[in-house]
Amino acid sequence: MSDQPFLELRDVTKRFPGHAAVQDLSLAVPRGQLLALLGPSGSGKTTTLRLLAGFERPDRGAVIVGGVDVTALPPAARHIGMVFQHYALFPHLSVGENVAFGIPRGPGRTARVRQLLALVDLAGFEHRRIDALSGGQQQRVALARALGPDPKLLLLDEPLSNLDPALRERTRRELRAALEAVGVTTVLVTHEQDEAFALGDVVAVLRDGRMEQFGSAPDLYERPVTHFVATFVGRAATVAGTLVAADRARVSDGVEWPVRVPQAVAPGRAVRVVVRPEALRLGGEGGIAGTVRARRYLGGRALFSVATPLGVLEVEGAVDAVEVGAEVHVTAVRAHAFPAED
Amino acid sequence: MKRRPLGLALAIGLAWLVAYPLLLVALDAFRADGAWSLANFGGFVRDPREWEALWGSLWISVASVILAAAIGIPLAFVFERFDFPGRRVLGGLVALPAVLPPLVGVIAFLFLYGESGIIPRLIAAALALPESPWRLRGAGAILLVHAYSMYVYFYLFTRAGLARVDASMTEAAASLGAGRWRTLRAVVLPLVRPQIAAAALLTFMTALGSFSAPYIFGGGFRVMPTQILATKLNGNLGLAMVETTALAVLALTALALLRRTQGRGGIAITAKGAAPGVRVLRSPLGRAAAATLGWGFAVLLLLPHATLILVSLVPLGTWTTQLFPTAYTLGNFAALAQEPERLRPLVNSLWMAAVATVGALALALWAGREVVQRRARLARPLEVLVHLPWAVPGTVLAIALATTFSVRAPWMGRWLLVGTALILPLAYLIRNLPVAAGTVLPGFRQLDPSLDEAAASLGAGRWRRLLRVTFPLLRPALLAGGALAFATAVGDFVTSIVLYTYDTRPISIEILGALRQFDIGVAAAYGVVLMLVSAAAMALGTRR
Repeated sequence: MSDQPFLELRDVTKRFPGHAAVQDLSLAVPRGQLLALLGPSGSGKTTTLRLLAGFERPDRGAVIVGGVDVTALPPAARHIGMVFQHYALFPHLSVGENVAFGIPRGPGRTARVRQLLALVDLAGFEHRRIDALSGGQQQRVALARALGPDPKLLLLDEPLSNLDPALRERTRRELRAALEAVGVTTVLVTHEQDEAFALGDVVAVLRDGRMEQFGSAPDLYERPVTHFVATFVGRAATVAGTLVAADRARVSDGVEWPVRVPQAVAPGRAVRVVVRPEALRLGGEGGIAGTVRARRYLGGRALFSVATPLGVLEVEGAVDAVEVGAEVHVTAVRAHAFPAED
Repeated sequence: MKRRPLGLALAIGLAWLVAYPLLLVALDAFRADGAWSLANFGGFVRDPREWEALWGSLWISVASVILAAAIGIPLAFVFERFDFPGRRVLGGLVALPAVLPPLVGVIAFLFLYGESGIIPRLIAAALALPESPWRLRGAGAILLVHAYSMYVYFYLFTRAGLARVDASMTEAAASLGAGRWRTLRAVVLPLVRPQIAAAALLTFMTALGSFSAPYIFGGGFRVMPTQILATKLNGNLGLAMVETTALAVLALTALALLRRTQGRGGIAITAKGAAPGVRVLRSPLGRAAAATLGWGFAVLLLLPHATLILVSLVPLGTWTTQLFPTAYTLGNFAALAQEPERLRPLVNSLWMAAVATVGALALALWAGREVVQRRARLARPLEVLVHLPWAVPGTVLAIALATTFSVRAPWMGRWLLVGTALILPLAYLIRNLPVAAGTVLPGFRQLDPSLDEAAASLGAGRWRRLLRVTFPLLRPALLAGGALAFATAVGDFVTSIVLYTYDTRPISIEILGALRQFDIGVAAAYGVVLMLVSAAAMALGTRR
C-alpha cells in the first residue's frame, strides 16, 4: 500500500502562448511524503503546482491523486489545500474566519478552527485582523487555512520566500513539525536548495519545463546525472578536461582527477568536470598550482579561493590550513564528468 | 476550457446594446424615401446652419476646456501647496458644483443671473437702471455654465496628481539650482501632465455633449445636440440621422486625437517618498488675502445652490418685481410629496435610476470577471464596448436607442421599447456603463488573483467565491461606481428629453414643464431634491 504512488503526474504537458511551461513531466509520490520541486525561475515548477491545484489544465497528460484521475476536475472539487506564495489571506475576514473558510458548517467547526490554530502555534488568535499579524504568523494562518478542509494533498508555493532569513530557519522547522503531525502528502515549490533538502523527502529538479533528476537529497548531491543538477545543487566549480579512462579525467598537463561519469562518454572525448569544495585538497606538491586569494569562514571550517590556471577553485579546509597569499597545489579526491555539450 | 461562450455572450450583448444602435443610425443616414441615398448628406452639407452648429459645438468645447483649466489648475495648486485659514473646509466646498445635475445647475443660473434673476435685479436697483443690465443668452451664457461646472474636473484631477508628486523631485530640482518657477515649469507640470490631459479630455467630451445649457440659454446660438433634437421634432428624421452621425464622428475623432497626445510620454511616478509639504502662509496680509479670496470664491460657487433653495421656498405668484421674495413657504415641497402627479416624476426617476445602476454594475462586474480575471480572448473588445457610451454624446445615444427600439423586428434584435417604461432605464444603464466600469474594472485589477484561487482550493464554488470574496473586496469600487452612476441617472436630462413618455417622465422633464408654466417654486423644489439626492449619493460613494 505504502509503495503505491499516491500522487502521480503522467506525461503532463502545458503550453502557454510562445513556450511550453511544462513538457512530458511524469512523477510519482508515495502517500505521506513531501516532494520538493526545485528549479530556477522559469523552470515550470509553479506551473506544475498550479496544474496539481487545478488552476491550469494540462494540454496533455493526467493528474492522479489517490488513484483518482482529477485532470478534469475544477479546483473546488479536488480537495487539495494550497499555501500561496503571498499567502492570499482574505483581508476582509479575521484569522478565525479565514481558517474556517474551507471547513463545512456544522457543530465541530469552531473546535476545528481552534485545533488548527493550536497546531500552528496561534491559539487564541481567532479574532485578530490579518493585517495585524507578522509575516511568519500570516504564513502559519495560511497553512492552518489550507489544512482546514482536511485535504488529500497539500501544495506549498515558495512558503518561506516572504520571510526574512532569521525567521526562515525557525519557520522551516515549525513547518516540518506541523506537516509531520498531520501526515498529509505535500508538494513544495522552491528555488532554494537548502529548503528543498531540509523539507523534501524526495526532490525533483526541473529545468525548462522538464525533469532533470528525481531523487533523495543525497542522490542529487552525490550522484547528479546532468551537469545542470551538479552545478545547481550545491556549490561547485566546472573545469574543462578530457576523459582518459572510464573513471579518470585529465584537467591539466599531467594532472588527472578521479571522476564519476553518469552519462555515456567515450574515453578521449572532451568533458566538463564538476568538483565540489569539500572534494578538493590543498597540498604542497602535485596537482594544480595556484595562489590562495581569500579565506571565508564557514563556522569551524573555511573556504579558500585559489586562483589557478583552470580558474578560481574554491577549496574547503581547516581554518588554519594555509594563509592568504600562500602558493599551494590543489588535488581532487572525487569529481563528476559530463559531456562537453549538454 | 468551456468558459469562452460566457465572454462571447457578454460581448454580443454589449455590442447589441452599445454599438448596434449607433450602426443603425449611421445606416439610416444613408436612407431616404425607403431607398439607399445620399440625399440626407446633400441636405446637411448644403445647409450653412448645420456647419454653424458643428463649428459652434467644436469651439464651445475648446473654449470650455481653456476656461475650466484656467480656473481649476491654479485653484488646485493653491489648495495643495498653501495653508491658510479655512483651507480644509474650502477645499471641500470647491468641488460642490459637482452635486448640481446639469439641468439643475442651468436653472439655478437662470434664477441667479438670468434677465429677471437676483443679481441683475440688484444691479438694476443699485444703479437705477430701467431694465436688466444684461441678458443671459448665447455662447457667453453657455460658457459661463460650462466653466462653473467643469473646472471641478481640472481641480480634482490636478490635486490628485500634485498629491502624488514626490517631494524628492522638487527638492532635487531646487538642489540643482532651479528656482520656483523653473521647478514648476520643468518638473511639476510635466509630472502632473497625465492628470491635466485626462481632465481636458473629460471636459471636452462633456462640453461637446452638453445639452442643458445650450437648450435653455442658447437662443439663436447653434450647437449639434440641440440642433439634432430640433430637427427630429420638425419631423426631418433623415437629416437628424446625418446630424447624429456627424456629432458621433466629431466626438470619436476628438477622442482619438486627444488620446494620442495623452499617450505620448506617459510618465510613471515611481518614487514612493513623501508628498511635498504645504507652505504655511505666515504674513498676516497674505493670510487675510488668501482667506478673503478663498471665501469670496466659495460664496460665488455656493450662490447657485443658495438661490435654488431660496426660490424653492417662494409661493406661486408672490415674487414678481420685488428685490427679494416677500413670502416663504414649504408648500412647494409639500406639493411634491402630496400631489400624486407631482410625486410621480420623483418615484420614476428614483426607480429608473436604481434599476439602471444595478444593471450597469452587474454588467461591469461580468465584464470585470471576463476581462481581468479570466483574461478572455475578447478582453480588448469588451473593454472598448463598456467604455464606448462615454465617448458618445447623450443626444447621439438617445437618438440611436429611439431609432433601434421603435421597430419590432426580433430577428434583427429590435423590439418596440420606445413608449414603454423600459426604454429610459435601458438608456440610463447604457450611459452609466462606463461610469460603473470605470471603478469596477480597476477594482478587479487590484484584486490579488490568488485570493479567488485560494477560495477555490478551499472548496468554494463560483457563487460562494463571488459572494464571500469578490464582492466584499470590491465593495468600495462598487459603492463609488454605483453612487456616481445613480447620481448621473437620477438627474439625467439629455436622454430623457428624447425618450420619455408622460407616464415615465423623470424629474428633469417635470422641472422643464414647471418652468414653462412659470411655476418656478416647484421647479426649484425639484432641483433642490435632485441636488440633495446627488449629494447624498456622492457622499456615500466617496466614504471609505
